[in-house]
Amino acid sequence: MNILETKNIYHDYSGLKVLFDVNLEIKTGERHAIIGPNGAGKTTLFNVITGTYRPSEGDVYFQGKEITGFAPNELVRLGMGRSFQITSTFSRLTAFENIRMGILSKRRIRFNILKLLDKMEAVTRETEEVLKRINLDGERDIPASQLSYGKSRSLEISMALATDPDLVMLDEPTAGMSVDETHNAVELIRRLTEGKTMVIIEHDMDVVFSLADRITVLHLGAILTSGTPNEIRENQAVKDAYLGDLEV
Amino acid sequence: MRNLKKWIGWTVLLIALVLYPRIFGIYYTNVFVTFAIFALFAVTLNLLLGYTGLLTFGHAMFFGTGGYATAIALERIEGLPIIAAVLIGFLAAIVLALILCPIMVRVSGTAFAMLHLAFGQLMYVLALKLRFITGGEDGVGGFDIPPLGFPGIGSVDISDPLNFYYFAVTVLGLSIWFLWFFTKTPLGSVMVGIRDNANRVNYLGFKVTQTKAVIYTLAGAFAGVAGSVYALFQNLIAADDAYHVWVSFAPIMMTMVGGISSFFGPIAGAAIFGIIEELTSRYTERVELVMGLILISIIMFAPLGFVGFVNFLKQKLIRRSAQ
Repeated sequence: MNILETKNIYHDYSGLKVLFDVNLEIKTGERHAIIGPNGAGKTTLFNVITGTYRPSEGDVYFQGKEITGFAPNELVRLGMGRSFQITSTFSRLTAFENIRMGILSKRRIRFNILKLLDKMEAVTRETEEVLKRINLDGERDIPASQLSYGKSRSLEISMALATDPDLVMLDEPTAGMSVDETHNAVELIRRLTEGKTMVIIEHDMDVVFSLADRITVLHLGAILTSGTPNEIRENQAVKDAYLGDLEV
Repeated sequence: MRNLKKWIGWTVLLIALVLYPRIFGIYYTNVFVTFAIFALFAVTLNLLLGYTGLLTFGHAMFFGTGGYATAIALERIEGLPIIAAVLIGFLAAIVLALILCPIMVRVSGTAFAMLHLAFGQLMYVLALKLRFITGGEDGVGGFDIPPLGFPGIGSVDISDPLNFYYFAVTVLGLSIWFLWFFTKTPLGSVMVGIRDNANRVNYLGFKVTQTKAVIYTLAGAFAGVAGSVYALFQNLIAADDAYHVWVSFAPIMMTMVGGISSFFGPIAGAAIFGIIEELTSRYTERVELVMGLILISIIMFAPLGFVGFVNFLKQKLIRRSAQ
């Protein structure tokens, strides 16, 4: 069964056409990478799927339900989580408070004004467990803006997962990371997304080929091809458009 | 141990508030009531400015509406209990907030500030022009202030300044406590999240506009309580005290001076303003000149305000003693 499907998606930014007839199918439980050169429309596709934009044409289906034009908060409540290419955490809140926001949403505590947050012990405990799992328990009370780059990216990734979504959309989680940091991030992603469906945009081919079960190549706003990592590696059109003679 | 300290702190504060008018006399009691009114008013403004990141140039709208509603209700309804009069002020401010919030929660930044300036001035002009309701420039004044009745026990005459002090401090204090509590609840934390990163709040599954609407209404409602107590205190409410643009600016300045990043900053700011006004007016009429100089130096040398400055000193001391 497909957890996510897009049907004939077109999108343009006031005249500039970015997506052409994109039909993406993500199977439940798979790890799916979207690759392609800069400007191919990868992030726009993410934005259309996760509700930042409504597509100019076409429909999006999530778990069999049409979700075209749904707001991000509605999609999160249906079980979708998303991280951003540019870190998007709460900069003035501590790592603990950042994660706690996600835990609150997961527990559907959204409009409660009757109880002190600090006295909600189950929330505190669960937040601390998450911090431990992502190796941020040492940085519990440090504001997100003061975390090292690698740690703040870890926080960004875990924010997408804090609401315990069925489908996780990661937009270049390892962007700007050193080799070591990338290695750790891949391990973290692998651990956190166990049993979930993941869609990832990534430029680092080592990351792509080590994480993905299937790959979709986007080129000039259209899907060039989809397939297993081996099929993609051997595909001549992909080599011409993107991979070149890269040894992978 | 920590709980014990907390209880001792509260008890001392309570005793100080009870004894204050007996020690300082009626004049300074009235000064304190003015301070408490503006402390609550500034705290409600800071809910928008400091906590949600929304600057408003029209917060007087809610203050004035609360004041007018209470005054007009007392003027026209015979035998209205005092608590009901304050509640009417509270509800009137809520109604105003509910009318405005469908527009206001969809804008932020300059648009939010300027739309409030516009609506605030509209209310000012309405208060001047709708004479049959508001009494025009004379305002609504001289209404009877009913005694505070306790069913089965008796009643207290709160037109007496001493009794009014206890009444006002109770109402304003409970309001401030409620708002403090609110900032510590889950919804209060979502409010802080919106200030930092509204997009992320949305992508965590929270409804940003609805949350903003709740905060906006709450801030307006309690500004209405402050205005309502003000009208009772002065036994008068007029357009210049209620809706003038200076009434909107005062809590902004108090918040800036006291400290925008803390719940208690605006309260400290209201106190500082009260004290400075009290001291300078003994020597000169140019109170604004002194206020302006202080505001400029705070912005230049202590951008986080009084509370931020105190925290800075505290950290410095801790660091020194650690060495």
